[in-house]
Amino acid sequence: MTTVDGRHKLDREAERLAYKPPEVRHDKQGDMDSNERIDKAMWNFLKNFNTQTASYLDGCLHCGMCADACHFHVRTDDPQYTPIWKIELFKRTYKRNVGPFAFFYRLLGLKRKVTIEDLEEWQHLIYDSCTVCGRCSLVCPMGIDIAGLVSMARHGMFKAGLIPHELHEVAKRAAETGSPLGITPDKFEDRVDWMADEHDVEIPMDVDKADVLAVMSSIEIQKYPQSIAATAKILNAAGESWTFRTDGFEATNFGLLSGNPEWQKTASMKLIDAAVKIGAKTLVLPECGHAYMALRWMGANMYGKPLPFKVLHISEYLADALNTGKITVKKVDKSVTYHDPCQVSRRGGATQAARDVIRHLGVDFREMEYGGDYNWCCGGGGGVVTITRADPLRHRVFKLKMDQVESTEADELLSSCANCRQSFDDCQEHFGWDYTMGSLMEMVAENLEEGQS
Amino acid sequence: MKKTPTVGEILQAKGVSRRGFLKYCATTASILALPPSMIPRIAEAIENARRPSVIWLSFQECTGCTESLTRSASPTVEGLIFDAISLDYHHTLQAAAGDQAEAARHAAMEENDGSYLVLVDGSIPLANPGYSTIAGISNVDMLKETVAGAAAVVSIGSCAAFGGIPGADPNPTGAVSVMDIVTDKPVVNVPGCPPIPMVMTAVLTQFLTFGTLPDLDKHGRPMAFYGKTIHDRCYRRPFYEQGRFAETFDDEGAKAGWCLYKLGCKGPITYNACATTKWNSGTSFPIESGHPCLGCSEPNFWDKGGFYEPLSTGKFDSGERLAGAAAAGVALGVAAAAAGRRKQSKFAKEG
Amino acid sequence: MDLLEFARGPALQWAAYILVAGSIWRIVGILLLKEKSDFSEPRKRAGLGSALKVVYTRSFTAPPFAKATMYPKMMAYVQHVGLFAVVFLFVPHIMFFKGFLGFEWPGLPNSVIYVFGVAAVVASLALLIRRVTSPVLRLISNFDDYFSGFVAILPIATGLLIPVRLGIRYEDLLAIHILSVVLFMIWLPFGKLGHVFLVFITRGTTGIAFERRGAKT
Repeated sequence: MTTVDGRHKLDREAERLAYKPPEVRHDKQGDMDSNERIDKAMWNFLKNFNTQTASYLDGCLHCGMCADACHFHVRTDDPQYTPIWKIELFKRTYKRNVGPFAFFYRLLGLKRKVTIEDLEEWQHLIYDSCTVCGRCSLVCPMGIDIAGLVSMARHGMFKAGLIPHELHEVAKRAAETGSPLGITPDKFEDRVDWMADEHDVEIPMDVDKADVLAVMSSIEIQKYPQSIAATAKILNAAGESWTFRTDGFEATNFGLLSGNPEWQKTASMKLIDAAVKIGAKTLVLPECGHAYMALRWMGANMYGKPLPFKVLHISEYLADALNTGKITVKKVDKSVTYHDPCQVSRRGGATQAARDVIRHLGVDFREMEYGGDYNWCCGGGGGVVTITRADPLRHRVFKLKMDQVESTEADELLSSCANCRQSFDDCQEHFGWDYTMGSLMEMVAENLEEGQS
Repeated sequence: MKKTPTVGEILQAKGVSRRGFLKYCATTASILALPPSMIPRIAEAIENARRPSVIWLSFQECTGCTESLTRSASPTVEGLIFDAISLDYHHTLQAAAGDQAEAARHAAMEENDGSYLVLVDGSIPLANPGYSTIAGISNVDMLKETVAGAAAVVSIGSCAAFGGIPGADPNPTGAVSVMDIVTDKPVVNVPGCPPIPMVMTAVLTQFLTFGTLPDLDKHGRPMAFYGKTIHDRCYRRPFYEQGRFAETFDDEGAKAGWCLYKLGCKGPITYNACATTKWNSGTSFPIESGHPCLGCSEPNFWDKGGFYEPLSTGKFDSGERLAGAAAAGVALGVAAAAAGRRKQSKFAKEG
Repeated sequence: MDLLEFARGPALQWAAYILVAGSIWRIVGILLLKEKSDFSEPRKRAGLGSALKVVYTRSFTAPPFAKATMYPKMMAYVQHVGLFAVVFLFVPHIMFFKGFLGFEWPGLPNSVIYVFGVAAVVASLALLIRRVTSPVLRLISNFDDYFSGFVAILPIATGLLIPVRLGIRYEDLLAIHILSVVLFMIWLPFGKLGHVFLVFITRGTTGIAFERRGAKT
């Protein structure tokens, strides 16, 4: 017989002994039986296998060093977040089916066939806990591009209907409406008009012939519309013959992030077709990381031949314009640190561009420790920021980024990716953090020499 | 019948001094790993031993083993002990010939039935018994007949012990060793090409002294002499460890007496006493005189690769089959890639 | 035919066939998978030079990862350098290679080789211990990892036993040593020891792909 102490609430549901049952949520799309899902997952991963990817999966030494490069593992110490483990199922299926010794592996039953339960479990590893930032690809002593393999694994997961619900919804909306946030051409035009009025800047729209096609990301159009005005100010100041197009304005590519090559192609082709139609010499991509990967490095392959125009990230365009004197900027008396978007810098090769721009701004530039190519990811890339169930993990991981930024003690934090900006904003709110992410391009636009804007 | 003199009497008659005799006994004791306290016993046993009857059979051989034992520069105690034994039959050394010789053999066998020793040098041809006969008797028949009443058999030299040079590839006579034929009597192998005289007499000495045969290794060789490799007791071993090797027979390394490994020395896998007992009254042994060990006391030493090929050289064939393996690898690789690609495109079509 | 003759003769011969056939099988099987052309405009010219550059540079850890990967990297270096010295700088081994290559190169004194050998074994064991104690490695390791480690240590261990002897006859130890090498040669093409040649493909293709983008390699 016991009596309950009335001063303290009796909470039978409280967590005990630090045991927390895992929150499991396996989202599924479409009606398929398990075997069909497994087949689709595996073969959509395997069908584009080539020498490089095959050597990657054959060459892994299981040294585990990639774990030390991955923010998800470094922050949680959870071995399942070891990058190469994220593609374990696919590695296994490669060895069973396409590898040089596939026959033996099947004959001797050395590699277990993947089950639907495996795939469901891996949804969390391939989407929620990988931003495809590619930091692991740089530590690998065998030089394996693990991030690239995760992207391929996503092809399989998407076709098997095994991707996180939110990401699927966003990607589907992008495929149906042309924009992940549902921005229709009309809406885009409205926003552009609004910004033109608000900032008193001339913004060419749907011009038939122009040298430069500028595009925007939905996140900017929706959340950071001042980017539209900033882009216009800069291109005007540079004296470009340029335009926005309602038939090709959306730079984000959720086909790429979710793992659906068809949707990826549709999105890229809109931009390519628009640029070809107006005879553009240059397509300027906005401050968006994965847009750069999608168009700069994958666009021509979607097109099936070399693109008849150059593709530049806005930071590359700015660096070029400033270096050649097309535009000039006033000196800014602030200390600034810069967060590199993974797909632009580490994986895109445009690391130097942002630094050139910053040099022209004359700020007190404080590079983060191991900034640039070895930067910690914002944690929201690769579509992770859309997956709400991944928020607790993403917030936990962001701590690395906060430490990296804070140790610079810079006045301003800049980046050149709206997706990074979005996840910084979210984390700022979550942690009540002091730093607000700013835009490199906007800083340039605000500090153009008089008479240029 | 006249009483046969003891070995001691014979040695005395031959003028061997007491000092020289004891020295021999001491050396034998140390080689047989016996305590010094045993030396008097050896001496006593040898002195009082009746001449044991020994029948020496020579089959497919070169007489080198006999030469080794008998052709010393000056008479040695070993040689004299050898003389002291009652060598009732040895067709190289005996004066008798033809029927007389064979009669001597039969007489020795009958008189000493169950206690005589048979020493054999040379291998026994089995491909055709006519390849080697003595007095019209094939080697194999003579061996079988002679050992029937023997106490033990000692195979002198590598031919008798392992088939030796006659047994080397392609072995045209079908030569086999004594052990291959004699399975119901103790056989002691004293291989070498030729064996060290000391080793031969030491085995006899032990038999005379204790009436026993020595402990043998897995090849039937007395452990006392064949227990360690030439390499392990070689005075040039430190050079091996230091990585100092003679590259040719006339380079500075050869002159400086460095290790002969690179010149094909088989010392590491050769078990014999050359490095300690040496040859020609302790003068030298092959390595000391600048030549790599041939490994002559080992089975099949003639077929173990070139004498001047380093021990670690692998035995590969001409490389044609290796090219075949490479071609097979290409074919398998092409097939594997084709199978993988076929599956890939099949799926790409089906979606 | 005794054990040593078997090891030096047919065993080594067949191991060589399997080593050659298996390695080529694996390399060709990978190289002939379909290749898609990349139409994107390269930022930098990338070719064999980029491949070789990364084959070289990935031998070293980038500074940000140096601290975290220090221990396994150091152990792996000791293991690889030790293995290299033992295989290629031990005079009897050089003689082995000379047997079919026809030329030789200077070696190191045996006592130095023993140090390398012991260091390689110790480093391999350290890595093995790490493999069974680190949660990450325990998770991602499979049979191949353990077996390949075993197969790689075995020839060094048996080789080190030859001078020690432990009451076993020289030719038997030598035979066992050669047979352990035979096992190594037979397993090499099929397991992860294949990184001996795969490393050139993985690092090389990454080098070309990344250099083309001007990205960090």
